[in-house]
Amino acid sequence: MSAWARRLGAVAFACAATAGLVGLSRVPWTAHPGEQGQLRLAWRFRSELVQACRRLTPEELAKLPVHMRRGEVCEGGLRPYRLEVWVDDRPVADDTIRAAGAHADRPLFVLREFDLAPGRHEARIRFTPLGPAEAETGTDERGREPRGAAPPLVFTAPLVLAPRQVALVTYDEERRALVRRRS
Amino acid sequence: MSRFAGRFAGAVRRPLAWADARLNALYRWELNPLYHSGVLAASLFAVVLITGIYLLVFYRIGSPYASVARITNDVFLGSFMRSLHRYASDAAVVAGLAHMFRMYAQRRSWGPRTLAWVSGLVLLGVLFVCGWTGYVMVWDVQGEVIAREGARWMDLLPLFSEPISRTFVGERPIPNAFFFINLFAHAALPLGLGVVLWIHVSRLARPVLVPPRLLLWGSVVLLSLASVVVPVTMAPAADVLRLPGRAPYDVFFAFFLPLTRPLPPLVVWLAGAAVTAAVVMVPAWSRAKVGQEPPPSVVDETLCTGCEQCYVDCPYEAIAMVSRSDPADPRSALVARVDADLCTSCGICAGSCAPMGVGPPGRTGRDQLSRVGGFVAAHPAEPREVVIVACDRGAGGVGALATFDGAAVYAVSCAGNLHSSVIEYFVRAGVGGVLVVACPPRDCWNREGAKWLEQRLFHDREAELKPRVDRRRVRLGYAAEGERAVVRAALAAFRAEVRRLEEAAAEQDIDIERECVEDYTAEQAGAR
Repeated sequence: MSAWARRLGAVAFACAATAGLVGLSRVPWTAHPGEQGQLRLAWRFRSELVQACRRLTPEELAKLPVHMRRGEVCEGGLRPYRLEVWVDDRPVADDTIRAAGAHADRPLFVLREFDLAPGRHEARIRFTPLGPAEAETGTDERGREPRGAAPPLVFTAPLVLAPRQVALVTYDEERRALVRRRS
Repeated sequence: MSRFAGRFAGAVRRPLAWADARLNALYRWELNPLYHSGVLAASLFAVVLITGIYLLVFYRIGSPYASVARITNDVFLGSFMRSLHRYASDAAVVAGLAHMFRMYAQRRSWGPRTLAWVSGLVLLGVLFVCGWTGYVMVWDVQGEVIAREGARWMDLLPLFSEPISRTFVGERPIPNAFFFINLFAHAALPLGLGVVLWIHVSRLARPVLVPPRLLLWGSVVLLSLASVVVPVTMAPAADVLRLPGRAPYDVFFAFFLPLTRPLPPLVVWLAGAAVTAAVVMVPAWSRAKVGQEPPPSVVDETLCTGCEQCYVDCPYEAIAMVSRSDPADPRSALVARVDADLCTSCGICAGSCAPMGVGPPGRTGRDQLSRVGGFVAAHPAEPREVVIVACDRGAGGVGALATFDGAAVYAVSCAGNLHSSVIEYFVRAGVGGVLVVACPPRDCWNREGAKWLEQRLFHDREAELKPRVDRRRVRLGYAAEGERAVVRAALAAFRAEVRRLEEAAAEQDIDIERECVEDYTAEQAGAR
């Protein structure tokens, strides 16, 4: 190979490599294939506290460091909820939403996404508080009645989805209701 | 190294050798970009830093997409800088991966090199995180998809009081704090890269951080041209209430999206952890089997003169000069001492030691002399024949052969390990010539073996080839593992030269004979 042919080849290869680099830096890709829309449920909800409290026995207190000796310990957390979703009268979700956090004292977070074909759909969402028994909470030794559970949140509405459109249903704290948020 | 690991490393070395040979043919070994992949990655990152500082001046976290659009369309040099920033980042990833692949394939990733391997992985990881945060900064479709995917993974970890994914569901506007943290990570992480880079090269005696000028500026010019000819355009803006459609994605940074998006986060974490562990553990599973590790160099204090040449030549700073164990010894106050934990057993110290007092057991200068004696006895020297001294790693793979094109092959573990006395031994034994074939200097598995050998043979570097050795009978050539044809051509050219030398010597002998005969005849005639 002559020196000029080699140099030409070197430049051609460098140009081709650069072209390849540029091409690979902009490869068309569809992150969400198809033309489907989506029903997205996303909200943060602080449910009522459900606790089982009891007094510690002197023996139990003696085992604790001085600065940790509280007379009463409470176990439990925020009340869990049941999330049920129907689309066109077909159930698509039935889950228990539990409070986040090690002590179950963080709010309940809902984030569910359901791909739907473009067009009209009937969506029905029911967010129901679970009772202490279902929530597997302890009993109140002092016989305290747990606070009354809030009424279930219900959302029923027709959705007309354009291709790739996201219908967001969220919780409106002021209205205390599930609402559809529009962009 | 396990049998599987050995086979795997061998298998990945073949395509590397093939690519090296092709690129050497085009660029010569001096400019082969594969040989400079590590320093290219570092240099390209410098380009990314410079262009990034320019872009940062115009970026606004309150309106990320709009500000990037303004940079692209209105700011002076904005489009060029943004494009160069992107392309240099992509090229840095390619160069970094090529460097990593090379180090693994050549089994330069374990023992004392473990620190460089692990810190190199950290560098690569930080580069990826910088890239991801950079794409999120733009807040186009790709940025949104990367952010949502990252949030999906992070939400599996019990670290955050609220799921991060909620940020991107459209329930509320994305807070500026998110873009601020993202920008902070994007800008702050590169500052830490300097420290990791220092760690990465901390065990090297003379780290090279800049590629040859032509290669560096050639790369910058090409990427600049690409930035002008094919500038980066604005992809559709992120819209969390609209599912992302077809958009351009950067394969170098967003390669994982098609793989991970269909998978649950737990599977992604497990797969990611498995891949990361496998790569991080390369030094463990690619190392030599216990008992088969190449032994570190040792110093024979009775021979060491304290000249410091091995200390200077060691590419890994594994040799220190310390006080003699016997202070009364009149030879020198200091002697060399090898730190076995830092020694890669390259044997370069053996080639640097004139009195042959240092080197890995079995490969010191004295060991080499006794070995070459046996070799010459087994291969009687022929005046016109050439002996090939080949590095057994590169050199066209010739080092693994007993003979090549009729020439006897004497293999050495590294050209830098070769003691110049071995060359002298061959020449004085009567061979026509000694062709030393080393790996190209930028591809020396022990970094500086070929460089030091060249200086020892032709530039009087200790332990130099003695002046009494006819340099015309010694030739140094470079060939990569896949360049057997280069060795063949070098051998043919050197043989022709040796033949001419022999013929000239023969003619000189004839002339002397003729002169002697003529003188004798004249003397006889005078006597009569």
